[in-house]
Amino acid sequence: MRQARTYSGILSGGVSGKTGPHSLPLARIKKIMKKSGDDVKMISGEAPIVFSKACELFIEEITLRSWIVTLQGKRRTLHKDDVAAALIATDIFDFLVNMVSNSSTSCEDTPTMET
Amino acid sequence: MADVPASPGGGSHESGDQSPRSNVREQDRYLPIANISRIMKKALPANGKIAKDAKETVQECVSEFISFITSEASDKCQREKRKTINGDDLLWAMATLGFEDYIEPLKVYLNRYREMEGDTKGTVKGGEGSAKRDVVGVQPGSNAQIAHQGSFAQGVSYMNS
Repeated sequence: MRQARTYSGILSGGVSGKTGPHSLPLARIKKIMKKSGDDVKMISGEAPIVFSKACELFIEEITLRSWIVTLQGKRRTLHKDDVAAALIATDIFDFLVNMVSNSSTSCEDTPTMET
Repeated sequence: MADVPASPGGGSHESGDQSPRSNVREQDRYLPIANISRIMKKALPANGKIAKDAKETVQECVSEFISFITSEASDKCQREKRKTINGDDLLWAMATLGFEDYIEPLKVYLNRYREMEGDTKGTVKGGEGSAKRDVVGVQPGSNAQIAHQGSFAQGVSYMNS
């Protein structure tokens, strides 16, 4: 008998429970959390689990917003510039704007041509 | 003279801040690109393609997101004089920083996880209980061992004398 549950999200938490039902590795999430500050020492077991889902929502949101930019340019391949444009256009992603504007300096040159 | 007091605190802080950042392996700083790519593809229609540089950018953004939320949650814990960052602190931080749309789905996810965990914990606890009983059962044996060692030591001292 094929067990549909095993392949359908949350119920699939394997026997090991290491990656479990989560789509992102919990140990890696914990490492990144610990790197965010010297004060971050103790992290509850639930915290990386919250992040595994939160990151999934976050990735989906960035991807969809970027895809809208891609479609506006009548293209079918999502590029870094689309991500950058989506980040700049969305208030809650303000904290990420430095990341895309620092690395892609070409972005700063082109808008002056358009306006 | 100014260098001497600065070096223990300031110096170690600097080295703690900078050298790991450049030395740290990529796999410690980011989530795996394959997982990120899978989640991105799921969000797009079947005919949509994703360039590598877009995946890498999102990969960097996710790490930044984790740090951003964690820092806010960590500040809250410090203000409240707690040492452990828990799931609710993260939910609070997300709501504070503009991600309130994530709260409901996260609560649902967390509750489902807790229910599941409750089930497995029950069986794990049973296992622990029996393990403890085993430990208790072993103790007379270990006592006997100590007694045996004692007699061995006596034997040695007898031989030495």
